Amino acid sequence: MRTFAVVPAYNEEKTVAGVVRGLLPAVEEVIVIDDGSADGTAAAAASAGALVARHVLNRGQGAALKTGTVLALEHGADIVVHIDADGQHDPEAIRKLVAPIEAGEADIVYGSRFLGIEAEGMPASRRALLLLARQFNALFLGVPRTFTDPQSGLRALNAAAARAIDFRQDRMAHCSEILRLVAHSPLRSREVPVRVRYSKETLAKGNKATDALGIVWQLLLGSMHR
Amino acid sequence: MVIQVLLIATLLAALIMTWRRVRQGVLSRLAGFLWSALWVAGGIVVLQPEFASLLARFLGVGRGVDAVIYVAIVGLFYLVFRIFLKLDRLERDITAIVRKVSLEEAERLNKGQGKGDEPYEGNSQEGDAG
Repeated sequence: MRTFAVVPAYNEEKTVAGVVRGLLPAVEEVIVIDDGSADGTAAAAASAGALVARHVLNRGQGAALKTGTVLALEHGADIVVHIDADGQHDPEAIRKLVAPIEAGEADIVYGSRFLGIEAEGMPASRRALLLLARQFNALFLGVPRTFTDPQSGLRALNAAAARAIDFRQDRMAHCSEILRLVAHSPLRSREVPVRVRYSKETLAKGNKATDALGIVWQLLLGSMHR
Repeated sequence: MVIQVLLIATLLAALIMTWRRVRQGVLSRLAGFLWSALWVAGGIVVLQPEFASLLARFLGVGRGVDAVIYVAIVGLFYLVFRIFLKLDRLERDITAIVRKVSLEEAERLNKGQGKGDEPYEGNSQEGDAG
């Protein structure tokens, strides 16, 4: 099966090439969406061997993932893997993520930071916030409580799921939106444990507590459409 | 009183403006009627403040002026929310355009050249991207 990794990147000139090279052995093709970067992210990604598309304006992580997913499907992807560009994820995790789809046991697989493998350096405050988010998702979005990681940035979808899940949240709320859409669809989903390393750099870029309020607000606005 | 004259003039202007917009097709007929009802109600309260007191008694608030302010605040909240929604819709439309341009550009570049030929040298983005 043709597996495509989709990596949204915003001003990641220094790190994006390393991420692409780390991923290439595990997947058929790496798609980098340069989300309106002001630096040389696109060129760095292209020279590392990625297929690159560029947003002329910064539209957010969710928007970039969506563009990358569309591009991957156009290029004949059988499996699309969503990935963070900041190196939070272990490229090795992709094989584990993709395995249930290749075996035909699932349509969408989420990487979870709370299934046995201890996340390295995750602060207690982040842990508490994610616990709260889990309750919110269960109560308001109908996401089963069996899903342990509400904000995981690592997921794999087969082509059918990637086509069916039409997520529209441009920024951080897409994680919850995808969980909700999948929960309300007949798609088979599951979680697999992944190892995530938290460094100073990733913590500075990742979700802050105040972002949680923004996510709730965006989900509320999003639910009013249509 | 001066305030009454000023307020009535403003409300009349709003009423005229509303129906001009309806004729231009910017507002629907229903929206036109709803806005007109608001302006007329405002006019009634300005000319006959006792009506506000009636409303106040109905709502269980002390004074007529208070009732008007409460209702106005609720109305404003609603309008602000509507604007947020509209902004969100615009954001989504912008994203759709950016995505279309992005996919077309990727298609063009990947057809013309092999990967790794640095088709992305130089950056179209100028100024701050924040």
